[in-house]
Amino acid sequence: MPSQPPLPPLLTPYLSTFPQSSLTLVTSILDATGNWLVLRFLHAALSTSASSNTAFGAEGLHNGTKKKVVFVSFVRSWEFWRTEAKRLGLDLARLADKQQFAFIDGLSELFYTPQAAHATPGVSPAGLGSTPRAILPLRSQPGAVPGRLPAPASTTEGGSTATPGQAELGIARKLHLYGRGTAALDALEKDIVSVIDQQRASMAEDEELLLIVDQPDLLLAATGPSMGIGATEMAEWHVHATVLTLAADSPLIHNASTSGGHPAPPIETEHAAFTIGLAHRARSVLQLRNLETGAARDVSGVLRISRGGGWSTGEEDGLEEKDVLYFIQRDGGVRVFGRGES
Amino acid sequence: MSFRKRNIGLSSGADRATVPNASLRPAPESIPGIRPSPDDGRPTTSTGTPSLDNLLAGHAGLPLGKLLLVEENGTTDFAGALLRYYAAEGVVQEQKVHVVGVPEQWGRSLPGLIGSAESLDEKRSDKRKDERMKIAWRYERLGEFGATIAGSRAPTTTGEQDPTAPQTPAFCHAFDLTKRLAHPSITNMSFIPLAPSKESPFHSVLKRLQTAISSSAPNTIHRIVIPSLLNPTMYPPDICQPEHVLQFFHSLKALMSAHATRATAMITFPLSLFPRSSGLVRWVELLSDGVIELCPFPHSADALGTSGAATSQEEPPQGMLKAHRLPVLHERGGGSDQNVGQDWAFILSRRRFEIKPFSLPPAEGDKEAQDAPAPNGMPNKSDLEF
Repeated sequence: MPSQPPLPPLLTPYLSTFPQSSLTLVTSILDATGNWLVLRFLHAALSTSASSNTAFGAEGLHNGTKKKVVFVSFVRSWEFWRTEAKRLGLDLARLADKQQFAFIDGLSELFYTPQAAHATPGVSPAGLGSTPRAILPLRSQPGAVPGRLPAPASTTEGGSTATPGQAELGIARKLHLYGRGTAALDALEKDIVSVIDQQRASMAEDEELLLIVDQPDLLLAATGPSMGIGATEMAEWHVHATVLTLAADSPLIHNASTSGGHPAPPIETEHAAFTIGLAHRARSVLQLRNLETGAARDVSGVLRISRGGGWSTGEEDGLEEKDVLYFIQRDGGVRVFGRGES
Repeated sequence: MSFRKRNIGLSSGADRATVPNASLRPAPESIPGIRPSPDDGRPTTSTGTPSLDNLLAGHAGLPLGKLLLVEENGTTDFAGALLRYYAAEGVVQEQKVHVVGVPEQWGRSLPGLIGSAESLDEKRSDKRKDERMKIAWRYERLGEFGATIAGSRAPTTTGEQDPTAPQTPAFCHAFDLTKRLAHPSITNMSFIPLAPSKESPFHSVLKRLQTAISSSAPNTIHRIVIPSLLNPTMYPPDICQPEHVLQFFHSLKALMSAHATRATAMITFPLSLFPRSSGLVRWVELLSDGVIELCPFPHSADALGTSGAATSQEEPPQGMLKAHRLPVLHERGGGSDQNVGQDWAFILSRRRFEIKPFSLPPAEGDKEAQDAPAPNGMPNKSDLEF
């Protein structure tokens, strides 16, 4: 099969234009994951060579505005994103050096801080890592009093940019969940906002900042029922546009209503409320799911692009709703095509 | 390894040796039980079950750094057999095996070694050749599992059948469930008990895994074995809270991606206690790299079993296997593998756990066809005859 352009032409308009303070939602399920789509978002925002886009007449939408990206990932490692982006010809580590891109690691030390993190202070890693990083010890035991703010004494360690290891290059910050309730969430938010501010500080007038958050719903699921991330908080992050990925498997969405007299467990009601609430605020929703008719050799899944509740009717031309098929090739290339085409 | 040394000489500083990419390079061949994936060259290790290795999206093994979740319906313990093969393979390859939550008796019940998997295959194919004349030609192609499923594995397989093969160490071994494994390194297995504590009992488990992995020599490969996670006979009841389980899975994922070339994990999970339709289980699945579900046939389906075998030489399938998510493939978007969406059946015999395409029995006559598809306890043929 011929190699595919990094951005599928059908998707280019959806990947590269975001109105001010818009929210784009990507939902995925167990066997139709959205990582490839996130990579396309990254590519659309960060790729400097517009040549791949000009070929398809999309340059009008994309050129002119340079973008910066802050990327928060809760379930995938930096290593994964870096190698997969490289397959698209995007060097995230270099971009992080140039302060065009900042990666916030929500996987490696979110709930459990390895002892090694408190080792001797090392050389500060390249790029954004050179800023002091707050290393907070893990404190997520269920017994803690809800809402209690743990003593911030441990932030005195903030001066050490320890954490040895090569994968550290390019990681702007590692998130730690610490405490319980909204206070813990606020601390996470503060971490993210500080990286965003850092990016904004070096921004030129015409640049746009895109925030991509990969699976924040993990926080909701893994911290018990007491925490809800309000979509209002997201809106206060002063970024140009936000892309969120969420899981939308049917057990997580459809179990929420009481069935058979049993009230649904909180994990399901909270998740459904969170996802549906965000879909109402979103400008556009990109849903990934399986082919209803079973697996096929040349189709990986279905991508449905629809307007969310936050789509403003006054928007000129706007967003065409679409239902397309996609296929991920062995080499990582993606073909997107309508039903019946190939 | 040698080409990285040369790299140091060419470049300016020592930081060159710590290229982030290095961790994704195939592990040096000198480590037994590790081989590069025929698909993209990443290091893989065997699950101890050749046909499960072949199922894993063309990698012909479990890629290092990945976590495989095996779910099982009902009260049978087929998943436990898979897990024992996995642990036994780790012992034989002299990898460091960590078993979580069960006492040391579990380690003494590992199946005994009978040789490399290829040697067993050869024996079987010899037997098959002898019987070839008896098999009707139209069923013959249904027989050999490896031939259909392992398309991408073909070059490796032929390589292994070279005359030089005996010199190369075996990637996967065959085990006998009725024997007990006796291997010098079996004492190397470590058993991590669930320590009752105020916080999550998983914390001490994670801490021990973390220290064990980070303090071992860099070429030690670790296997994390967790039998029957959340089973109430082993786990305290409050551990089923999502914050405990999901934080454990998340941290385990973090641990394994931090040591992406040094650890694999296999976890079995009882679905009868925690149905797949619940949000908790779905999150557990979302946090795993590979998800496989075993659906054993109930006993009354023995009739289906016997006629379900394509030929009389084959053993009847004992259940269905569903691959919901495969390592690496689905992380990238998935769906293009030839094995996805197939119906699989599995057969556990004394010497092997075999996974093969499920095929309905050939129509042998009206009567046969009518009572064959009755997995739900309908009267079978022998009940009706008098």
